[in-house]
Amino acid sequence: MSLSRRELLKAQAAAVAAAAAGMTVPAVAQPVAGGVGSLEIKWSKAPCRFCGTGCGVMVGVKEGKVVATHGDTLAEVNRGLNCIKGYFLSKIMYGGDRLTTPLLRKKGGVFDKSGELTPVSWDEAFDVMAARAKAVLKENGPTAIGMLGSGQWTAYEGYAATKLMRAGFRSNNLDPNARHCMASAAYAFMRTFGMDEPMGCYDDFEAADAFVLWGSNMAEMHPILWTRLTDRRLSHPHVKVAVLSTFTHRSSDLADIPIVFKPGTDLAILNYIANHIISTGRANQDFVKNHTAFVKGTVDIGYGLRPDHPLEVKAKGAATAGATQPIDFDAYAAFVKDYTLEKVSELTGVERGFLQELAELYADPKRKVMSLWTMGFNQHVRGVWANQLVYNLHLLTGKISEPGNSPFSLTGQPSACGTAREVGTFAHRLPADMTVTNPEHRKRTEEIWRVPHGIIPDKPGYHAVEQDRMLRDGKLNFYWIQVNNNLQAAPNSSRETYPGYRNPDNFIVVSDAYPTVTAMAADLVLPAAMWVEKEGMYGNAERRTHVWRQLVNAPGDARSDLWQMMEFSKRFTTDEVWPAQVLADNPNYRGRTLFDALFRNGMVDKFATTEIPVEYENSEAKAFGFYVQKGLFEEYAEFGRGHGHDLAPFDTYHEVRGLRWPVVNGKETKWRYREGLDPYVKPGKGIDFYGQPDGRARIIAVPYEPPAESPDKEYDIWLVTGRVLEHWHSGSMTMRVPELYKAFPGARVFMHAEDARSRGINQGAEVRVVSRRGEIRTRVDTKGRNRMPRGVVFVPWFDASQLINKATLDATDPISKQADFKKCAVKIILV
Amino acid sequence: MTEEATIHISSAVVSVLPDRRDEVLRMLAALPDVEVHHADASKIVIVMEAADSGILGGRLAEIACWQGVLSANMVFEQVERLAGTGG
Repeated sequence: MSLSRRELLKAQAAAVAAAAAGMTVPAVAQPVAGGVGSLEIKWSKAPCRFCGTGCGVMVGVKEGKVVATHGDTLAEVNRGLNCIKGYFLSKIMYGGDRLTTPLLRKKGGVFDKSGELTPVSWDEAFDVMAARAKAVLKENGPTAIGMLGSGQWTAYEGYAATKLMRAGFRSNNLDPNARHCMASAAYAFMRTFGMDEPMGCYDDFEAADAFVLWGSNMAEMHPILWTRLTDRRLSHPHVKVAVLSTFTHRSSDLADIPIVFKPGTDLAILNYIANHIISTGRANQDFVKNHTAFVKGTVDIGYGLRPDHPLEVKAKGAATAGATQPIDFDAYAAFVKDYTLEKVSELTGVERGFLQELAELYADPKRKVMSLWTMGFNQHVRGVWANQLVYNLHLLTGKISEPGNSPFSLTGQPSACGTAREVGTFAHRLPADMTVTNPEHRKRTEEIWRVPHGIIPDKPGYHAVEQDRMLRDGKLNFYWIQVNNNLQAAPNSSRETYPGYRNPDNFIVVSDAYPTVTAMAADLVLPAAMWVEKEGMYGNAERRTHVWRQLVNAPGDARSDLWQMMEFSKRFTTDEVWPAQVLADNPNYRGRTLFDALFRNGMVDKFATTEIPVEYENSEAKAFGFYVQKGLFEEYAEFGRGHGHDLAPFDTYHEVRGLRWPVVNGKETKWRYREGLDPYVKPGKGIDFYGQPDGRARIIAVPYEPPAESPDKEYDIWLVTGRVLEHWHSGSMTMRVPELYKAFPGARVFMHAEDARSRGINQGAEVRVVSRRGEIRTRVDTKGRNRMPRGVVFVPWFDASQLINKATLDATDPISKQADFKKCAVKIILV
Repeated sequence: MTEEATIHISSAVVSVLPDRRDEVLRMLAALPDVEVHHADASKIVIVMEAADSGILGGRLAEIACWQGVLSANMVFEQVERLAGTGG
């Protein structure tokens, strides 16, 4: 061997990369992680902490600290690749301002809402917090208690939260910030298929002949999946990519069909495509006849603003926004007939040729199509409709539930599916797609939770945007926020979010790892353990459940959200929070703490700490004396087994890189609803959308309706908000990684050069972005990675020093209650 | 991450638009401590070397945003004591 060691290492590194990229090169060495460091570094698997893709990473620990991470070559999702955010995972836990002790607002040694945040013990923190919660319960009842979590909770944490809130405090005012992220997707799944989450999976990337990105910029937001998509496109010349957006971005570079449409008009494009499919005789009549049913939705449904807003008062269909009426194929065909090429081209501003090419991708029976979307559809005042309209196209053509034919809703949070949706943290949901309004569902849940009947309240709680409104109005008075930065994330935050946090009637608790703007607005800040500082489970966008071990200890007094909820529950007895009649009927529950009733219930505490391998820490097991995560898993798994959400045995998940549910007889399910691929479809059925009682997916007739606010003479330009490659969501982690901070240090407003010039603004100039609700100061970028059309500006929201959500509008989809962060009117003023 | 001097050797896969590949290859060649090891029509395997992982990640973040680059993802990283590399 004439190579020097350094050259050998380089050749090995290159060989591993080539293998990950699927390139054939001479083998030099097998992948061995770590070099000399491998002798000192202990490597364990975990899913990435950032987006909903769910990449597998190997996490290297040395002397109690995460020192390195790399893409896991055994993970099917990313096959060893690691995007730039994922590469810096090892640094997210070590920001200099990590919170390590509880902080309480105090003046003169006691709690005072106008006092300074002061370090306190956990005991003092929980004493004050419990006293406030009890006072609120006594004065205003359970509906004055609320909690906001997120798809960044582990599934165990989300599950514990839903139990604690609904069965403990008897409040459904629990919502995840996933409400801001993919509530529209979840509602559309339920309305169309009767079951949440995609029928397909990431294997579709290697089987599709066309990809249609509906408002998604995967190149920046889902780089690993984008790499799989680009590999497919560039290695198979017949494959086509259509990218639809309200501006040109990095994903547009690959587009065979690049489409920039006027904000909100995607609805019309979707109906035009349906019209094209039908009018050219390419509807799959057999599929449509046997597996679908047609409905018509309520129209003029309003914008989810406060009920006294003029737009809501005017909206005739607001009260019945979610209602549908049965129609037939002919009525549907007649409905979409209005969406002609000419009319839609005019409305959207898109060239007819591009619209026709796009429609042909769906209409051509020989072409397998994968549709992909995230916030462009979901953060939309007609987000549920947009999701359903794309299902229409796949259902009309039968292009669904088989490799390559896949309408695919991407997610933005690591466990948007696993936590926010599957364990039931939405204000109306229970585990495994059940709802609080259904008496049978409540009963089944109470049985599995081993709590008396009649405990779970039957009215949906306040959703995330409504929680802010109710805090401001003084109807929600005790509010616990975990794993999210809502003051930065929520719409119209100056008017509708911040006032509620500072309302003197309210007590706001924020659990976080870092002093976010939300934490700094709280009355009590609880320091949180993050990611591999605890054992966890995430569920990604393709139904993949992936677990990890606790690999390091959290710093100082930081504790996991799970520990916080369980420990806090010890301070309440059933006599304090449950109705007297229920206790009279079930005297054995009297005088028990909520901890005993919910977590020492014979199931959650069933597994011994000795089941945890000795080489791994488990702070919760140590604190409570049982293997908490396994107990929560097994209890939760009872909901899904035999009901289409089957999970594998717990220990299996610690061996594999995740499995896609339902896992039946040890086998994961890659495609649902098709015989031979999904064990729930009985032989001879072919296709069965078994989430619906009649086995038929719904095709819906709904129109284009305009956004809540459009530019006018004064506020003369569209504001679209979103993300950038380097930063994840509110930047609370990535802005603390020096290299990512340096790569994109501050938000800016992307603007068309002519729009800037006409306002006397030069590249780089400081401007005010002003809406009717609030404003920020930022700098103009006319030459950056996002190329704006005239009349539209884009501002990313990761930057806590430029809170663009002061300017956004709190209009929501009236069905999903998800805010529209993509469409409001602003003016740009030179400073 | 250790106190003594180390060298980080990392490999990454850069996906490019085929018609921009040669331009990207030229730009990569101009970067310090970056070697191109393999390239096909749309993928380039690079190996980077630096004193710490931050420099490598920062460099990859820069490459990921070049015109013509569709994605740039890290794959493998090896940390060696400087004395041990012999090169």
